[in-house]
Parts: sequence; C-alpha cells; structure tokens
Amino acid sequence: MIQLNKNYTLPERLAEFIPIKIVSVGGAGLNALDRIVLDGLERADVVAINTDVHSLTSSVATRKVQLGRSVSRGLGAGGDPDVGYQAALESAEEIREALTDARVIFICAGLGGGTGSGAAPYIAQAAREAGALVIAFATLPFGFEGKRRNVQAREALVRLSEFAHAVVCFDNDRMGDLSPPQAGIHQAFALADMTISQSVRSIVNLIQRPGLIRIGFDDLLAALRTRNSRCVFGYGEADSDNRAHEALKQALKNPLMDRGRMLADATHVLVQVAGGPSVTLSEVEILMQELGRHVSDQTQILFGAVVDARLGDRLSVTIISSLSEEEDAVLTHHAPSSASAVSQVRESYQAATAEPEIQSEEPTVEVQPLAETIPFEQTVSAEAPPVATSIPIESPVETARNGEPEPPTTTPQEKPVRWKEEKAPAEKSETPAKQEVLQFEPVTRGRFEKSEPTIIEGEDLDVPTYLRKNIKVK
Amino acid sequence: MANNNLMVGLEIGTSKICVVVGESRPDGTLKILGVGQAPSRGVRKGEIVDFETAMKCVHEAVVDAEQKSDVMIKSVYVAVAGSHLQSFNNRGCVMLPEDRDEIDEQDVEDVKINAREVSIPAQNAFLHSVIQHYQVDGQQGILNPVGMLGEKLEADFHIVHGVRTRIQNTIRCVKELPLDVEDVVFSGLASAQVVLTQNEKDLGALVVDMGGGTTDYVLYSEGAVRQSGCLAVGGDHITNDISMGLRIPMARAEKLKTEEGSCVLGNCLPGEMILLKDDSGFAGKEVERETLNTIIHLRLREAFELLKRRLEEEPYLGYLGAGIFITGGCSLLSGIDHLAADIFEIPANLTHAQAAWGVTSAVENPQFSTAIGLVKFAQVMHTDRPSRGFGRIFRGLFSGKR
Repeated sequence: MIQLNKNYTLPERLAEFIPIKIVSVGGAGLNALDRIVLDGLERADVVAINTDVHSLTSSVATRKVQLGRSVSRGLGAGGDPDVGYQAALESAEEIREALTDARVIFICAGLGGGTGSGAAPYIAQAAREAGALVIAFATLPFGFEGKRRNVQAREALVRLSEFAHAVVCFDNDRMGDLSPPQAGIHQAFALADMTISQSVRSIVNLIQRPGLIRIGFDDLLAALRTRNSRCVFGYGEADSDNRAHEALKQALKNPLMDRGRMLADATHVLVQVAGGPSVTLSEVEILMQELGRHVSDQTQILFGAVVDARLGDRLSVTIISSLSEEEDAVLTHHAPSSASAVSQVRESYQAATAEPEIQSEEPTVEVQPLAETIPFEQTVSAEAPPVATSIPIESPVETARNGEPEPPTTTPQEKPVRWKEEKAPAEKSETPAKQEVLQFEPVTRGRFEKSEPTIIEGEDLDVPTYLRKNIKVK
Repeated sequence: MANNNLMVGLEIGTSKICVVVGESRPDGTLKILGVGQAPSRGVRKGEIVDFETAMKCVHEAVVDAEQKSDVMIKSVYVAVAGSHLQSFNNRGCVMLPEDRDEIDEQDVEDVKINAREVSIPAQNAFLHSVIQHYQVDGQQGILNPVGMLGEKLEADFHIVHGVRTRIQNTIRCVKELPLDVEDVVFSGLASAQVVLTQNEKDLGALVVDMGGGTTDYVLYSEGAVRQSGCLAVGGDHITNDISMGLRIPMARAEKLKTEEGSCVLGNCLPGEMILLKDDSGFAGKEVERETLNTIIHLRLREAFELLKRRLEEEPYLGYLGAGIFITGGCSLLSGIDHLAADIFEIPANLTHAQAAWGVTSAVENPQFSTAIGLVKFAQVMHTDRPSRGFGRIFRGLFSGKR
C-alpha cells in the first residue's frame, strides 16, 4: 500500500501544474496587468475586465470582458462604485465564464475609483464561488486624491477582503517613496506597477516552482492573513560572490519593507530562496540568519527553497508578510463575522504551534507547520460563505490523512484530484530534504557573526575550516 | 618642526593600528623616526565596522607615534584593504596626429585615461592604475616612451578599484581626527614597495601580506604588477577557529596562537599537551598540541589554496623567479613558509621591510610592512621620481578638499 502510494505520487508531483488566472479590474488594474505581461509571465492566463471600452482595447491581455454594456455604455464608471457594481452585476455571466478553470485567481485592482472599487469585490466573490483560491492585489489611492476616494477605497478593501482569501495591499502614498524625488510622475507610476508586477510574478513562481522545500498555499495564506490589508513584500536578486547577502539586502531595500523594520512586528514571514544548481546550503544558512535579525523571536518563518536551473548563477529571495494587527488597527473597524472568526481561530492555533518553534531559529523546523497549517486553509474554505465546491467535502479526508500516519484505504487513483490533494504527497516526499538540513550542525561564525560574510567559491570562509571540511579535531 | 621630508604612513589594520613616521634622506634612503601603534577595535576584515571606536584607536596610535618620533603629524598616507578591492589589466591606446610623430608627455597622459575607460561597477572608484609597459607601434617592453617616434602608443595598465563608499569610510575616519589624507594606497601594493627589491620585481615575485583580517597579494613579473587583490581571510580567522575548536575565549586563543601555534603537522610528540594557565596563573585546561596545529594548518592551507586558484587564472604564477614573499603578522606563525612553498611549489621566504633603516626593531617586524611601505610610497611620490610600478593616483577623487 505504502509502496504503491509512493510510486504514484512521484510522477504526479513532477508534472504538477496549477492553472492560474490573473484578472485585472479597472483602469489601474489594467496598467498593472500590462506591466505583468510585458515583464513576461509563464503559465498563467490573463483577463482584463473594465467598464471603459477604450482602455480595454489598448490592453495587451488575451481575454477581455466589458462590464455593463447598458449601465455605463462603454464608458468608465465615473468614479462611482455603485455604477461599477451594477455594471458587474449586468455582466455576471461573462465574468463567471472568464473565471472558470483556474485553481488560483489573482485579482489586480486600483481601489478608489468606480470600476475597481465596485466590481472588484464582486469579481472576487465570483472567483471564490468558482472554487479558486483568490488573492487580490489592491492599490490604495494617493492621499491627494481626496478623502472621498480614500473612503471608497477603504470600503472596497473591506469588502474585497471578505471574499478574497488574501489581499495584498499597496499604499500609493508609500509607493511614492519608491522613486527618487526628482523622477517624473510617469516613472513613479511605472515603478508602482512594476512592484505589483514583481509581487504577482514572484507569487506565481512561488506556487508553480517545484521546490526542495516547497511553499504551499497554506503557507502563503498564513503569511497573508486575511484581514491584514497592508502587505510587506520584498524581492531581491544577486549573482555576485556574496549573493546571499546582497539579494537579501536588496529585498529589504524595498520601501514597503522599510529596510526590514516592518518585519519586526510580523507574525508570519514567508521566505523563498530560489537559485541555480550552484546555491549552497551555507548561503541559505547565512541568508536566513541575517533575516533572523530582522524578525522577532515570536515570528513564524515559513521557509521555502527552490533550485531552478533557469536562474543560472543568480540567487533570488522573496519575502512576503503582512503587518500585525496593531499596525493595521486603522482598518479594523469592520468585523465580518466569518473572516474574523477564522482569523481568531488561526491566531490561537498559531500561538500554540509557534511555541515549540521559536526555541531555535532554524528555518528548517518548518516541517511541522507546513503539514499542520493545512487544516486552516480548510477551515477557511469550509466557512467560505457561498462556496459549495468539493474542497470542503474533501477536507475531512485530508485531515484524517494528516492526523493519522496510516495511509487511507482508498487507492490513490480513485481520489478526485484537487490541488489540496496534490500537496500532501508532495510534502511527504520532501520530508527527507528537510531532515537533511536538520542534521546539519548549526554553524556559528563566532567573531564574524555580525560582519559581512566572506563567501568565496560558495563557501563561507568565516566558518572554521575544520568544520566545513568535516575534520574532527578533538 | 616643519620638515618637507617627513612622511607618515597609517594603517588601520584589523588587529592593530600602526603609524610610521619616516624621513626621506637626500641620498634617497628612508629613515624610520618612530613607530606608534595601538590595538585596533571596531575593524573587521580590514574594514571599519564601528566608526567611533576605530577613530579613538587611530587617535591613540597617532599620539603614540608623535611621542615616539617627536614630530607633529599633520597629514598621512592611508592604507586600504578589504574584500571589495578588485583588479584587472587593461590596455589603453592612442594614435598620434598626422603631423606629429614624437610622443610627448600629453600622449602618455592620454593613453592612461584611455586605459581607464572601462566599465567598473557604478559604485566603484579607481584606486590605482599602475603602468606595466608601453608599446610603440607594436614594439614591446618600452619603459618610457616620451621622446620616441611612433604613430601608435599603447600602454598596459594594472587597475585597482574598490567600492567608493567603503574607501571613503577609511578616509573619513582619519579626517575626523583631524588629519589630512595625502593619498590612499592599497595595502598590498604598499607592502610590496619595501618587501621587494627592484631585482626581485624584475625576476618575478609574489608578495603575500597576511594580516589580521585580510590577506593582500601582489604579483610582480618583469618588473610590473600583474595581479593583485585582497582575500578577506587573515589571522583573525585562525584565532576564531582556535577559539571555537578548543572552546576557549578569543583572547586566550590569540595568545595560544602567537606563543605556541604552528602550521606544521606531525612535528610534535604524540599526545603532547599544552597547559593553559588562567589569569591568576593557575593551571587550567590542557590542549593537545597536534589539535592546535591541525586547526591552524587547515585554515592556512585553505587560504593558500584559494589564493593559488585565483592566481592561476592568469599564467604568471609559473614565472616567479624570486619566489613568494610572506609578510604581515601571520608570517610570524612558525612553518608558514614551508606550507606556502608546499602548496605553490615555489620557494617561499619570510620577509620584512628591506629598504629602510632607523628604528630597527620596527623595520624588522613584518607586522609593519604595510605602514613602512606607505612611507616608501610617499617618498616616491614626494621626490616625484619617474617611478616604475606606480601610476599617478587620481588625486581629489577620494578627498573632498583637493
């Protein structure tokens, strides 16, 4: 039985492919989408949705949906979310059609205007009803766009976060810091779009890349806890000798990160290290150690590692997290019953699981939560108000499998293949990789702990030679 | 006490800061008047990590030097090191105008500027461009082309560059004291000035200056610098290894290394122990001598092997007629010359500053090679002798004042 299970899961894991759709709503969303497509994105469909025909025609998206043919008659929503909502209602059928056959749906929208604020929550709802995992990327308007627009954006954000599994929110006011003060306004906007594009692409890669230590949806969800609308995101890439150090530095340089200070309060930090075949264990060690200085002891680090030959000599780091509750207090005046209940459950659970982990700051201890956070995701989907797909039905089976060491009595072939399903075996086969890391003695660099690491030919020279060469001296 | 012939070299090392005051004699020799030093804190791997602390230490060392040499120090030559320093060889080329075929000084300047027109990372700055050889119309090995006839002047330069801000950190530390910075010099190049004679440079020699935090190397062949660089591994690493391997504090490890350490294996009795005394003089822990030596040996072997691999990227290693010259604090470790000779398969010598006299104890200490080298460098700059081995340095590039 066990043998059969193993044989079955291995090829499936290699061939694993998760259909992803990226949906953009409204004018700002379309801009971001164009950027994402131009930057190059593999293995994902793009859908552009807007009320304004003019901007739709100029979009590079392959699939386009016009909202509210009679409500707005091909014009924009005029900054009125109600018009946007009505338009979405009118075109409900087309939206649903466009959203089918995707397991993950990313929704990009600029909140504050008519279409973005009005239609995006509706589309999120439709996406969720279609049984997909919904991650929304929203931008909040600039402060100078007026109070009214800001209020509309906040309201839309609240509604959006009710339906989406996770909301990654970019504050335009903060994005302003991205560009140098003397840069032109187009440059500032382009940079903002680029940041969104970068985060979408990195999350897509995060999900699609088969990892040594994989990051799953559950990890992603844990990092982007539903109610937190402000996201901390960082991406860095380097190919020098000291690439681990430099990639991290670059990732923390992102203004959304505030040089890593934002991480101090985060409860969850998701880190994915990706690199070519030349990435060494010590590089990852160094990187995680350095990152460890930016996060508090209470923080749960969700760690993933990927070897992708296409990266060549480069090493990239993706850090995703959301701000803690206090930081987010401004936005918490709403209390959607289901969402808050879920997050409370989660919180208490994480409080429990976090305890054994913080003993050592090893990223590798993540084995436990990786397997155990799965039930959360199921709680979320189970409580998802209108959803009636097969996910909740499957979850008891799934939980049982995780809870008990014995394999299920059904043959694997008979099981309906859902994304949830594929994850569990994948994790099982990864366990050896993680244990390998565990065996590695936590190396200290002694006197050089706080200095810039010296990495030459992939070895951290600050670690005593006899330790690296594994020569017993005593 | 104003004396135009006074020159001061300052090296902010990882383990100590030393200041050497020298005087240039009319006959061209160099006399060392005094040496000041202070233990260094706030420096790691040749670079300042704690600005305030490092500044205090530099001040201490300067005051010490002033007392010992009885001069007022106003300006210094400063050595820089650190893993960010990189080097490469590049050729510059200028064509003489149609109506003129005699090469003049301006052409020589132009060819140097031309050689610098290569892309280095945006955050980097040129530190040195050292002339290797000129070529006139394809004729090789010309040392001074001014006055020669030709149409095309080419020049091979060895260019050293590093991260601008990191070099500036060192300069700022000195300027805050306040002292004027005459120039910044790559410490390996400074050491080579006094460690090697012209004859050895012509024969081909490799200088390895192994200090506390870094190992600087400069390779000469046919009288010109061919390769240079800095490896961020030094005596500190050995001490750290000992401290971790034998589980003793850093200070104790340092003492053990300098008093008992050796990198020769199999040279002691089996089971031979070293007794560690604690601060009050009572016998404490015992460590096996072979263990200590193994730790040192492994680290040094690795460093040398790394160095060898770096140098093997270019073919000069096979043309070292004079051999390897090891200097710096680490050269005091017993057996290091044999180890180097073993790995490089080239004779290795332990050496110290040669081309100077005066305070003999300082001159003969390999720890002062770089600082004395700075003074020598200054002497060369001052007398403005046409110097092989040195290009003019971009003045004003690093120091705001000039």
